[in-house]
Amino acid sequence: MSDDTTRPRVEPPRELPAGCTFSRRGFLETVGATAGLFMAGAVPAFVSATAPAIAAEGETDDPLAHITKGDGSINYPGKTVHYADPPGDQKWAMVIDVKACIGCRRCVYACVKENNIGRDAGFTYIKVLEMEQGLVDIEHAKADYAEGGRPDKWYLPVQCMQCAEAPCVYGCPVKATWRDPDGIVVIDYDKCIACRNCMVTCPYGARYFNWLEPHVPEAEVNPEVPLEEKHGVVEKCTFCIQRTRNGQTTACTEACPVGARTFGDLNDPDSAVSTLLKTRRVWRLKEEYGTKPMIWYVG
Amino acid sequence: MTENTITRPGVRRIIGVDFDFGALKSAGPRYWAFVSLLITVIGLGVLAWGAALANGGSVMAMRDSYPWGLWFTNYMYYVGLSAGGLVVYASVHLFNAKQFEPLSRLAVLQAGVLVMLALLGIITDMERPWRAVWMLLTPNPSSPFVYTGSAANIYMLICFIDLWILMTGKGGHKLAHRMTLIALPFAIYLHTTTAFVLALNKSRELWNTAVMVPIFLTSATASGIALLLIVAYLMQRFDVMRFKPSMFRSLSTLLSTVIIIDLFLLAVEILTVFWPTAAKPGHALRLAEFFSGPYALAFVPVLVLGIGAFSLLAGSRTRHLPAVQITAAAMYVVAIFLKRYSLMAMGFAIDPLGQYSPPYLPSLTEFLIAAGLLGLGVLIVTLSAKVLPLAVPEHEAHEPAAAEPSLEGPAPANPPALEAG
Repeated sequence: MSDDTTRPRVEPPRELPAGCTFSRRGFLETVGATAGLFMAGAVPAFVSATAPAIAAEGETDDPLAHITKGDGSINYPGKTVHYADPPGDQKWAMVIDVKACIGCRRCVYACVKENNIGRDAGFTYIKVLEMEQGLVDIEHAKADYAEGGRPDKWYLPVQCMQCAEAPCVYGCPVKATWRDPDGIVVIDYDKCIACRNCMVTCPYGARYFNWLEPHVPEAEVNPEVPLEEKHGVVEKCTFCIQRTRNGQTTACTEACPVGARTFGDLNDPDSAVSTLLKTRRVWRLKEEYGTKPMIWYVG
Repeated sequence: MTENTITRPGVRRIIGVDFDFGALKSAGPRYWAFVSLLITVIGLGVLAWGAALANGGSVMAMRDSYPWGLWFTNYMYYVGLSAGGLVVYASVHLFNAKQFEPLSRLAVLQAGVLVMLALLGIITDMERPWRAVWMLLTPNPSSPFVYTGSAANIYMLICFIDLWILMTGKGGHKLAHRMTLIALPFAIYLHTTTAFVLALNKSRELWNTAVMVPIFLTSATASGIALLLIVAYLMQRFDVMRFKPSMFRSLSTLLSTVIIIDLFLLAVEILTVFWPTAAKPGHALRLAEFFSGPYALAFVPVLVLGIGAFSLLAGSRTRHLPAVQITAAAMYVVAIFLKRYSLMAMGFAIDPLGQYSPPYLPSLTEFLIAAGLLGLGVLIVTLSAKVLPLAVPEHEAHEPAAAEPSLEGPAPANPPALEAG
């Protein structure tokens, strides 16, 4: 019984493409050499790009290898931003439990304090979206809700996803932003030309421009993070690069009262994020965009 | 140029071009009143730019929800307007459209000045303009900005070199023809890359459509031809140049053809976005704002003016009247500005996380900077009309009398009454 059902399922796909390519090839020859040349160039390129990734996934013992091996740095100039240590061999990632999140925004406040975000800047690195039960409807989500913790809503914290295929890095005309080898997307404040193209290319609305000089009360300034340099340039979440590269966790993870956030290293198979990714069903925001975010949601 | 020009007083030959400074001396008071008005506008623009540099971006109406504002609208708009002139000029050489030959110098001047305004618009938006040097030192090949920025710079150079070649007559027809072969592909390349700045963003559904490129090209060509038609009428009115009525007829026929292609592409896009089997919520929701939200005030006129302009030029009895041609052209020049503005602003009104922002309206500073730049462009053309030999002399021109602009008879008491003698 089982043999009968598997055989027709397996064999036709193996033969059909072969037959298809053969007949199409004959057709192409009559159409013209130009089209053939295009196909000859495009097909191997496509196959070589996809085949190793699929093979690697099946062959290796590490179930997360398809994430950690493929995601390198982009436009990395060989040095990192001046206020952070050089990147190690980690692959930083975050898992956010949306079932636990109560929308209290304590992560937002902690982040503002830690990262010297201008108190009157009009933005925060983290936005918490309030959505109706039963829908993942970003188009009608509410970011400016008054009080969190409503049982008839659910909450989705959104910030820079540190994408492996970051559209903002591809969009920056002067390579003033890049992705470090450990997966953190950083901005060189001294190089940014303020064209704001990265804000346009980001599908998560996670980049912000300092239209005002960032104003922080003197007592609350964090000396680890630049402040004046941020005037007139774009800034965003850096996974608290000044903390995490020194062995600490991010400010938002530390501040979360319900433990909804988990931060860690995907290259370490025993880290909390690796365990979560291997044992729980997780999803990423706008995965269909192909940006490969490094923040996963669970719940 | 001819010996006639050289012998006249006040004419000085610089880099092979006869600058007719004598014409400025004999210009009427209304000409100078207009020039001083323009200089005032430019001065206000400079002051506003100074205020923007001193106070930072917060004096602009742009915010995180609207990272680009009037400067970007104007960049797309000016870059587009410059296309039309170049298409007309190129058709003289590529399609042997002899009727447009008298326009060629004016068309190239218009193209060059408009691209210059587009680039200055970017500079005035930057808080630290000197950082633009990184565009040359570490350009990022995956950013469409690199291509449109470099293309605009090179295109501006091409236009001014071309103008010089046309005015000095160096290299004759052959060189002018070869320049067209460079300039026209570059014009198309520039507008394609400008469209790519919007279209290549998967984060912005409204723009992320391939039809953006042909729409940019047709809108650009149509608005540019319309502007050239208006400027040509003005030049005739002020006796700088003379054109045959048949030239305007050809120009308005070309204009109506491009307008209908432009409207067709827009209709195709609207249909694709809203058709039930094709509609994606993100895209449909954003495009619907064009018709229902506050942006309808900007976008519905685009359709009304566009269809209106086409209907005016389609009526076989009236389309030869100068008033009709000018009205239709002006309608389309305005329509394309509104189209660029609403396209840019609506792309931002609903951000990628679905948050809606109230409509963007430029602040006074932004408006003054833009007005100052526009004033600069008008000033250059106004001075050029006097000083530069814009009229095309000799054989191709219809009237032998119109060989030199300054040989025209006394103007009918208009501000730029050219020369007393």
